Amino acid sequence: MIITRRKLLKTSAAAGAAGLAAPYFFTRAAQAADAVEVGVLFSLTGGLSIVEKSLADATKMAIDEINAEGGVNGMMIKPIVEDGASDPKTYNEKASKLVIQDRVPTVFGSYTSASRKAVLPVFEKRRNLYFYPTYYEGFECSKNVVYTGAVPNQQLSNFIPWIIKNLGKKKFFIVGSNYIYPREMAKVSKILIEQNGGEWIADEYLELGHSEWGAMVKKIKDSGCDVVLSNVVGDSVVAFYREYKNQGLTHDKLPICATVTSEIEIAAMGAEFAVGSYTSFPYFQAIATDRNQAFVERYRKYVNDPKAVTHHALESSYFQVYLWKQALEKAGEATPEAIREGVKGQVFEAPNGTVTVEPENLHTFLTPRIAQWGADGQGSIIDEYAAPVKPLPYVAYGETADNLFCTAKGLDTSKL
Amino acid sequence: MTATLNHRRLLEIAAYGLFIVVVLAMPAFMDAFWLNRIGKYLVYGMLGIAISLSWGYAGILNLGQGLFFGLGAYMVAMSLKLQSYTSLQQGSDTPVPDFMLWNAEPGAVTDLCCISQASFLWIPFQAQWFGLVMAVIIPTVVAYLVGSAIFRLRISGVYVAIITLALVLLVRLLIIDAQPLTNGFNGLTDLGWLTINGFEFDPYLVETYYLIAGSLIVVLLAARWLVATRAGLILQSTRDDANRARYLGYSVAAYQVFFFTVSAGIAGFAGLLYVLSAEFASPTFMDLAFSISMVVWAAVGGRSSLLGACIGAILINTIEATVSESEMLKEAWKAIIGLLFVLVVLFLPRGLAGLSQDIVGFFESRRGGKTAAKPGIAASEAGE
Amino acid sequence: MADVIFIGLSLASILLLIGLGLTITYGAMGVINMAHGELVMVGAYTAVMAGIYLGVNLLVALPLAFIVAGGLGLLIERLVIRHLYGRMLDTLLATWGIAILLQQMIRLEFGLSFFDIHIEGLGPGLQNLAIPAFLNQAWMIGDFTVQPYRSFIILLTIALTVVTWFLLYRTSLGIQVRAIMRNPQMAAACGIDVKRVSAYTFAYGSGLAGVAGVMMAGFKTVAPDMGSSLVVDGFLVVVVGGVGSLLGTVAASGFLGQVNGLFATWTNDILARAIVFGLVILIIMWRPQGLFSFKGR
Repeated sequence: MIITRRKLLKTSAAAGAAGLAAPYFFTRAAQAADAVEVGVLFSLTGGLSIVEKSLADATKMAIDEINAEGGVNGMMIKPIVEDGASDPKTYNEKASKLVIQDRVPTVFGSYTSASRKAVLPVFEKRRNLYFYPTYYEGFECSKNVVYTGAVPNQQLSNFIPWIIKNLGKKKFFIVGSNYIYPREMAKVSKILIEQNGGEWIADEYLELGHSEWGAMVKKIKDSGCDVVLSNVVGDSVVAFYREYKNQGLTHDKLPICATVTSEIEIAAMGAEFAVGSYTSFPYFQAIATDRNQAFVERYRKYVNDPKAVTHHALESSYFQVYLWKQALEKAGEATPEAIREGVKGQVFEAPNGTVTVEPENLHTFLTPRIAQWGADGQGSIIDEYAAPVKPLPYVAYGETADNLFCTAKGLDTSKL
Repeated sequence: MTATLNHRRLLEIAAYGLFIVVVLAMPAFMDAFWLNRIGKYLVYGMLGIAISLSWGYAGILNLGQGLFFGLGAYMVAMSLKLQSYTSLQQGSDTPVPDFMLWNAEPGAVTDLCCISQASFLWIPFQAQWFGLVMAVIIPTVVAYLVGSAIFRLRISGVYVAIITLALVLLVRLLIIDAQPLTNGFNGLTDLGWLTINGFEFDPYLVETYYLIAGSLIVVLLAARWLVATRAGLILQSTRDDANRARYLGYSVAAYQVFFFTVSAGIAGFAGLLYVLSAEFASPTFMDLAFSISMVVWAAVGGRSSLLGACIGAILINTIEATVSESEMLKEAWKAIIGLLFVLVVLFLPRGLAGLSQDIVGFFESRRGGKTAAKPGIAASEAGE
Repeated sequence: MADVIFIGLSLASILLLIGLGLTITYGAMGVINMAHGELVMVGAYTAVMAGIYLGVNLLVALPLAFIVAGGLGLLIERLVIRHLYGRMLDTLLATWGIAILLQQMIRLEFGLSFFDIHIEGLGPGLQNLAIPAFLNQAWMIGDFTVQPYRSFIILLTIALTVVTWFLLYRTSLGIQVRAIMRNPQMAAACGIDVKRVSAYTFAYGSGLAGVAGVMMAGFKTVAPDMGSSLVVDGFLVVVVGGVGSLLGTVAASGFLGQVNGLFATWTNDILARAIVFGLVILIIMWRPQGLFSFKGR
């Protein structure tokens, strides 16, 4: 069975009619022809602004760069920035403002899955386009979202075998924050661990934002594991690594291998707590190419902070604007449908290397990398795929590169 | 004195009338987006009424009103989730929410009966009316049980606040933890639309707005009627002096439980309407910050005035939206809202409703040449 | 088992550290200070800034944070709280507004970010507080791992509790505070300068929050919203313990800390937290006046 987006015509027409019928004080002036407006929707206030502010900055930086080069098809990009306020309710409201009132053809936004899920109905039912820059758990097959962060197969398929083979660790303790991303990462990890001849001893969760790690680290200590796979998210990460050291555990004997710990958290905890631990991401600030180092410099100058760090979701926030620009150039007209068609197969030389949008599922080819954190708070990349890996959002169900479950026609549920 | 009272009564009727007319006339002035947005704020206005009823009239400060709002929202969202196309594509004859599949153990049967523990609880929600009815019934029942326990023990004031606060945090924690059943932190998304007689309530349609607006007006008038009944008056006496009311032979606890429960039912109903308008339900509805915000809305509007609390909620949210979307204040709006709260508590302890009463009183005293009677809200600090 | 008890003790000491300031402001003055968590946050930022600009470590930052948070508390008392005595639930709302305001001030770097000025150590991001090496090197006694940082928190909390006890029960200012706690009108009639004493009390409670902030900064993370979850736990402890009872707060935090630690070890942290919430509800229903209490205002 293929997803049908029924009754969409009807509703869009109705919404349009309502818009026409009420040209009063709340409706906006028509858009100028030499500019194209886009939405930028991240949390500038509230707890998540810790990360999301930097994603908004990276997005604006890319827009400014493109405008400085003359814009897209002679049009300047005009960002309409809205604040999601770290609250799915606000996210939902602002998304509908951008889509229905401002009628932008595309919105760049979201860090958490919860906020993406809250805005999704707006984009699906109003047939707009959302660019989502964060690594996430997969299981989504939307015609209205372009995903430029990693999916589990781009973070784990390289990581687990590498841990077992190169580190010689076989007994995994899986720990994560209590929501869907860590739970799905754990599910995929278990499959991979068993395939590669390892075993997992425990699979434990903590509340999101929880910062009291005493009991959990003790469990890790007593469990007899020889490696910890961490899917812990957010500021809990800092408390985790600190407690780890406080209880006398060291990364050379019992390394933490993480899927979320990025430059931000390392800087916040102090590098000494993470020295020797590993993270798997497609992007690290330490990538030694000139393109990346220039990018880091530009970003630091842009946010006026010589110590600012760059990280995976930030880099995706940046390059997805360029993918969008190329899509618009190809499409010619700034409508969500045209841009979606245009973005399929777009290739861009991003700071992390070549990125390509998979035409079928609108996810992005990325290069898996593993880094070991050093005393300077930077990762040194110790393993890297030669070429970008195809995104497989349904890998937990056995999706393979030759047998995609999510295609341009929709999700083929018979394969699930 | 009687003349003044009649005068006040007239003014109150005028205020209610004006509010209703404005709410009903909104669609003439707004595009689809603003209509939907104001619709959401009307739902918040309903929450203001619920808070005013329990706090202003019963002296019960409920810091966990989000619990009832959230329960209502989840109930209706469960039904709408089963109607969504995302639930119809799992290769089974009956709908199964997509997230249940993601969270299921490998090899689980793809059916609501047994895909995960307790997933059978979802089965009756296949009927849309069941979700709609439960959205009011479940919060009411929970509130009745909690209220009975609290008020029969004569717990009052800040202790009620702390119990309700702990309760909402507890339930939030459990909902997030029960991910196979509730989709945890992400909440219930990708919902279908409410469908009645083949008509689909697209949240951006005028019909949906009128559904919400009509519900709000009914709730507002019903609540206004309720507080003027004998029961309502007795309740207010229990707020002002519980012991005296008890001494006069009234069962204070019974009245408190009743109004606590009604307030929760209204909050649940508001949750239902919110889901129709926003198309998702999330555990963030049970965040402490949201529950406290509701209380603040009511305080700004005037806790002892149903209409005031309702308008306070609508007004604050409209201000928040406008300020947060202005280019200048994009990042400062929260600070401004915080400052606003402080100033209102300091300078308008009885909220906007109190302010308008004072203004009316001022003109009356000028015209009548005598001091008007102070509005009877001396007990604005109820519950302490 | 020793390490399980140690975890509980450590949890208890953190609860007490947060609750200590609250029990004073709430118990003595009837102020539900929702901005208490933000005062903790201000303490943490003081430590971060002191590290960056003065180059001093966490130990030196302790008194600094006490002064900064205490001063801020005094300011809040003068500007807002003073006008709200006797309106307990209004203090909750007003301080909620203050909490939002303080968080956003830190994010916006006191508004300087509008002028593209960046102050290192402020802003929306996470901040890092460097920890002296001797506080994060674990050492072993037999099977038992001694964790210096948590041990330090426990000792500091004991010290602060003793100091607070001494101030309340062995100084003339403390006698005045306790008099105000029981009956402010009568205290005023007896010639106590209620306004002044209340202001000092509030400042002291706020200062304790600042000290707590420094310790939190060392094992959690420093962010503008770090305080908002702490204040809830703090209130639960204070209410369970009994309003205005120092002993009650100590007992309640000890009890809830151990319960949390035990269940977190036996089952998991989520269940442990749910059990703590459930217990709090039951205790308040069983003894609304708290475990230890006296008739106050």
